[in-house]
Amino acid sequence: MSKSSTRASKRTDRPGTVEMDPSVVLSVRDLSVNFVTKRGIETALQNVSLDVPRGANLGLVGESGCGKSTFLKAAIGVLAPNAIVPSGRVIHAGVDLLAADPEEARQVRWRDISMITQSALNALDPVHRVGDQIVEAVRAHSKVSRKAAREQAKEMLSIVGVDPNRIDEFPHQFSGGMRQRAIIAMALMLRPELVLADEPTTSLDVIVQDQIFRRVRELQDELGFSMLLVTHDLGLVIENCARIAVMYSGQIVEEGQTSDVVSAPFHPYTLGLKNSLPRLDRDIEPISIHGGPPDPAVQHHGCRFVYRCPFAVDACHTVVPELRPVASGHKAACHRVEDVPGLREKAAQYETWSP
Amino acid sequence: MAITLFAMLTLMFFMFRLLPGDPTMTVVNATLSPEAQAAMKAQFGLDKPLLEQYLVYVANYARFDFGFSFQTSRSVAEMIEGRLLNTMVLIFPSLITAYVLGALIGAGLAWRRGGRSEVAIVFVATAFQAAPVFWVGMLAILFFSINLDLFPVGHIVTPGTVPESTWKMYFTTDFLHHLALPFLVHTAYQICFPLLLMRSSMLGTIGEDFIELARMKGLREVRILFRHAMRNSLLPLATTIPMILGWAVAGSVVIETVFSWPGLGLLMIEGVERSDFPVVQASFFMIAVLTVFGTFAADLLYGILDPRIVYD
Amino acid sequence: MELVKTFFATVWQTNTGRISLILFGVCCVLAILGPYIAPHAPLERNYDAAKKLIQLSPPTWDHWLGTTLLGRDVLSQILWGARSALIVGVVTALGVVAIGVNIGLISGYLGGRVDTILMRITDIFLGLPFLPFIIVVLAISGRSTTTIILAMMIVMWRSTARVIRAQVLSLKEMQFVAAARVTGASDFVILYREIAPNILPLALVNIAFALAWAIITEASIGFLGYGDPNAVSWGSIIYSAFASQMMYRAPWWVVPPGIAVMVLVSSVYFIGRAYEQVVNPRLKTH
Repeated sequence: MSKSSTRASKRTDRPGTVEMDPSVVLSVRDLSVNFVTKRGIETALQNVSLDVPRGANLGLVGESGCGKSTFLKAAIGVLAPNAIVPSGRVIHAGVDLLAADPEEARQVRWRDISMITQSALNALDPVHRVGDQIVEAVRAHSKVSRKAAREQAKEMLSIVGVDPNRIDEFPHQFSGGMRQRAIIAMALMLRPELVLADEPTTSLDVIVQDQIFRRVRELQDELGFSMLLVTHDLGLVIENCARIAVMYSGQIVEEGQTSDVVSAPFHPYTLGLKNSLPRLDRDIEPISIHGGPPDPAVQHHGCRFVYRCPFAVDACHTVVPELRPVASGHKAACHRVEDVPGLREKAAQYETWSP
Repeated sequence: MAITLFAMLTLMFFMFRLLPGDPTMTVVNATLSPEAQAAMKAQFGLDKPLLEQYLVYVANYARFDFGFSFQTSRSVAEMIEGRLLNTMVLIFPSLITAYVLGALIGAGLAWRRGGRSEVAIVFVATAFQAAPVFWVGMLAILFFSINLDLFPVGHIVTPGTVPESTWKMYFTTDFLHHLALPFLVHTAYQICFPLLLMRSSMLGTIGEDFIELARMKGLREVRILFRHAMRNSLLPLATTIPMILGWAVAGSVVIETVFSWPGLGLLMIEGVERSDFPVVQASFFMIAVLTVFGTFAADLLYGILDPRIVYD
Repeated sequence: MELVKTFFATVWQTNTGRISLILFGVCCVLAILGPYIAPHAPLERNYDAAKKLIQLSPPTWDHWLGTTLLGRDVLSQILWGARSALIVGVVTALGVVAIGVNIGLISGYLGGRVDTILMRITDIFLGLPFLPFIIVVLAISGRSTTTIILAMMIVMWRSTARVIRAQVLSLKEMQFVAAARVTGASDFVILYREIAPNILPLALVNIAFALAWAIITEASIGFLGYGDPNAVSWGSIIYSAFASQMMYRAPWWVVPPGIAVMVLVSSVYFIGRAYEQVVNPRLKTH
């Protein structure tokens, strides 16, 4: 697998940039994002800090609307025009992408950081051929001839499991699974260091989902990219990601090694999430957390999970809990972290979570 | 398409005969003496059964044999020839210009949202659509021709000049000078609709996932605008071309009247004034043919633009 | 009828919609009251104190918009013309949409041979050039308001039919139709009780545009000299101006009728757009 042909001149150390830990491929610091809407200002992300490790995967889990997609869009630089970023840095290769000049940011996009989106029919432009769209991505970042780019596209398509002879077809002629593979191929064309994956298999059946992720893991071994996997499916993260971060209502509430966080969660929300996983070895019903996430347009005091948390105390209503270490490489944002080990058994019971 | 034309012919046949009045007046000149009329009726086979008349009529029209004018006794087909080109030369280029310019401006407005110019342009375009084109034409003549003396007051060439040939005429400056004002007025009139439609269409397309993906791929803005956003937004616009084209051709009657432009529309009006039915029928038919052809071509264009359409 | 109320409420929400509704309302009032408040009879020739015809007079206190070549008061003609424009416009628009909606419903729902035949017929009518057709009909059958309305309806229903049919085709596949069928409802009931209410918003928008179109076409017909000779219409005012060859010396004669048409038609367009904007907020201009 040649890495050289599509790689544009790789950015080397630049003067006046931010120091970075070489084991981290993307470092997000203190990112806050608000949206201006008819209803007022909506808070999508609040002081989010995350590091994506090099050569390993980070899973970001949370409910719909918790801000995961916004996070990804901020990372790759395609926030909507009505977005306001009051604070935050997105640091890659020593450069803060949010503060960088637009042309520089544009060049980084796809070449170093790419994204696998959900594979709705509209993810691909319906009036252009699939091959042309892949070639377009390549030629936007390197001076490769159309012919050469086409050959590379065919190569990549066959690697992901799509018949390369179908390169000249239109998106509506591909099945859902094939479209998703094409999107993955497109995301990997420039051999990026980091691939963001936004619910990549949500609209597909589990068998196809399994095949696709198997292939992605193989490709990761060959090409060596990191993946930031955003999903609401905890099971998928357990299977694919070494590290996990849990997001609730625009904030990170827990993060750490996946094995640590899942076996011994510290945040009540994570406890609740774990309960919702169906278990094949035991005969228990999954327990869901009642209620819904708080309104992003309304200011909140204290912990945002307080109205759904079975373990809330007075302090939870007034003071925002900080993300603090609870074990080695494991952080959580809860006032009751010391009590949690004792509450875990209670958390596994159905009655705890009923309203 | 052939079926449509055929049906149209049939419709016209009955239309001209079923409406009140002596149907034979469409073929026989009413100003002739009764004996002459009777002779003509026999000659044209008007005493034969309706079906036979119909077949003769269809056969004639299929060969573009439109009979002879009551007024001038010239072959109607001859009269139509020159007029047909005149109408096409005025209507088609101005319609194309209007669509292209309108689409570009509409797309630009949608791409760069906000700004007072957007509100103003949308308002003006909507209001201008409401102004009758003949009225605008008259005002244009009043202002540009009479007051400012920039353009001639109608007609296709300066009255009195005899062009070398019909074709050569289109390449003279005199012709272009005369074409300018009607061209501008028609373009201005037709530009509003594609502008507004393109703008709405773009506003919808811009929110689509593939546009976001195109941005993520790090493509240049210009490329995203033209190759992805506009290309997709053109589709609704393209579906309207057949209809608008039909209206424009039919509406040529009005523009040609205002500017005394010798085209098919004006020919038909003149024919109606003089009850010269062969002329009326033929020009009506040719206008319809022009419309049907244009509609057909526009439908094909849409098939090319949208890869999801498959033509058997 | 709920829908109609919703429609007006929706349009009332925006500024342009509000102004347009008021303007339109004013025109309607003028249409009804016009003949009563007009200072002069529209077709009457006016003479001054010295029994001389007041020809081509620019605006004066007696004649706010001046007079025509034949000494007729322009303002009175404009006021009378509102009636013709609105009556013809509204009747035509309602008729057009009534025909178009029904054909669209039937064609789209029944599909198959009925659909093909109806669509073929629509295609043929689409090929008919609208103005020439109307002119010919008027020339042969005589120029009366009724003929004008009928001729316009014949030519206009086709686009509404197509649009409604397209929507019915997509509605047909939806759940509630299948549900109705399961309960044993007859085709007729499904069509008119289930599907029809869902296409009403589209039909309303079509009425607005048909109205605008009808008014302009009526003016065009008048301009070409084929208006009803017994009625005063804005188009025929422009026609007299044009035919007299004196129009370039009397802008007060030419400009007002065009403005009248423009105001009435654009108020209808803006109402249609206001409705569209609220229903589809992306179109809003900030």
